[in-house]
Amino acid sequence: MYDPMLYVHWKQAKLAMIPFVVAAFGLPLLAIQGLGPEPQGLNLDETLIWLPLFPALAGAIGVVLALTAWNWDHQQGHVYALTLPMARWEYAMHKMGAGVVLGLVPVMAFWIGAHLASASLTLPVGLNAYPNQLTLRFLFAVLLSYALLFAMAAGTVKTTIWSVTGVIAFFIAGSVLNDFLALFFPYFQEADIVAVVGEWLFTARGPFGVFTGNWALIDV
Amino acid sequence: MSNAIELTNVGWKAGKAFELRDVTIRVPNGSIYGFLGPNGSGKTTTIRMFMGMLEPDHGEVRVLGRRVPQEMPRILAQVGFVPERPHLYPALTVGETIRYHSSFYDRWDQTWAEELTARLRLDSERRVSRMSKGETGKLLLLLALSQRPSLLVLDEPTDGLDPVVRRDVLTAVLDYVAESSATVFISSHLVHELERICDWVGVLDDGQVVAELPMQSFKNGIKRIHVSGAPDAPGDTPFVILNRSEGDAFSAVETWVVRGWQDPMRQYFEGIGATVRGVVDLDLEEGFVELLRSSRPNNHHRG
Repeated sequence: MYDPMLYVHWKQAKLAMIPFVVAAFGLPLLAIQGLGPEPQGLNLDETLIWLPLFPALAGAIGVVLALTAWNWDHQQGHVYALTLPMARWEYAMHKMGAGVVLGLVPVMAFWIGAHLASASLTLPVGLNAYPNQLTLRFLFAVLLSYALLFAMAAGTVKTTIWSVTGVIAFFIAGSVLNDFLALFFPYFQEADIVAVVGEWLFTARGPFGVFTGNWALIDV
Repeated sequence: MSNAIELTNVGWKAGKAFELRDVTIRVPNGSIYGFLGPNGSGKTTTIRMFMGMLEPDHGEVRVLGRRVPQEMPRILAQVGFVPERPHLYPALTVGETIRYHSSFYDRWDQTWAEELTARLRLDSERRVSRMSKGETGKLLLLLALSQRPSLLVLDEPTDGLDPVVRRDVLTAVLDYVAESSATVFISSHLVHELERICDWVGVLDDGQVVAELPMQSFKNGIKRIHVSGAPDAPGDTPFVILNRSEGDAFSAVETWVVRGWQDPMRQYFEGIGATVRGVVDLDLEEGFVELLRSSRPNNHHRG
């Protein structure tokens, strides 16, 4: 039953996924176009403007895969899924697995693009290309955004609204609380709870660190 | 195991607007059970309860001898379900839908699925989103039947279908029952449709079961009786009075609608000094209407 579920997910996602596959293949190649005459004059600064697009593309792929995983079930009120002879967790796991496999398609395209881009350059001593490492980072970013959105999209609209509202409320309440505590405790005049949590989430140690790490294809 | 579906004192409340109140249903194995009720009476909610989509606030539900919802996957492997509203994936074709659905069922009969595709005149290449209501209904039935289910649950399966499609659908169901002795549970508000095919009937109104009995008893037992000379308080009756209305200004003959009538019960009227002027058979629809009228709180059995 996994193969048909994979096929159904592909039918839902293919229109959105085809441009993503093309983009994943082309982005590494585009990123090196601005480099100067090689090998002496490589200007790595020219690639910097492209770097934010890598995590953005990975995140978008994950979001689209997650939304298309549940789209038809939501449209039909989950009645069909609930009448199939399998446990709900098993159904969700099959669906999740189908999305992971589909996510590998743009990742593979990215890997090929990154290798082609790397192979088209003659790098000066001291610089290296990291197509495999970058692809691995791309894969993790796709999987992370997919898993997060998949879990949210699996619930009802009400659950999703509560989750998003909870996150926003946390940041607002945290900021207000911090300002309030700062009136009484000097420590909070310098420390910012929201900033600490945000930093933890998005730095290398945090769960979203994969999005903010080093996305350079060419580096020292 | 004598019942395919058993609901015992099942209650479920959805806000203040609607509730199922102590619903008890017994669907005998091998029967074709018609589940009647007006729109909004709770038929679909009851079905969702024993299909494991809703969990009751109280009461016990068993299907094919197994507990709901604990043993749901094993139950659903033996249940074919045609829901009130189509639920299939819109961008799949008929052929893709059949392949997808079949992958979940060990007992899937591909030969019969192909035979039904031809018999119900379904185009394998046609997209579900472009199918008419009748075609979608036939596809849903094909999927349910090709599973070779022990229990077939049909929620308003012919609602909105034209007479030709309706006949195709019901014929396919009856053919399957004839060869498999499966149990069929059909919910509908189309009384005449159930009258022809069901051997048991349950009636639900406003979230309560108001009657559950063999179809034959239902059809034969509800009568309209014209009576003269009956006292205001009739005492203990050997039948159930569903409705009692006085005659007009020119006639002293009252009309009683009763359930559980048998001809020897005429003696009861002699005993209370009344005379039976005539006994009229009611068809199922009239009986159904009288049953609902009598079950509603503003009925006074008089007037």
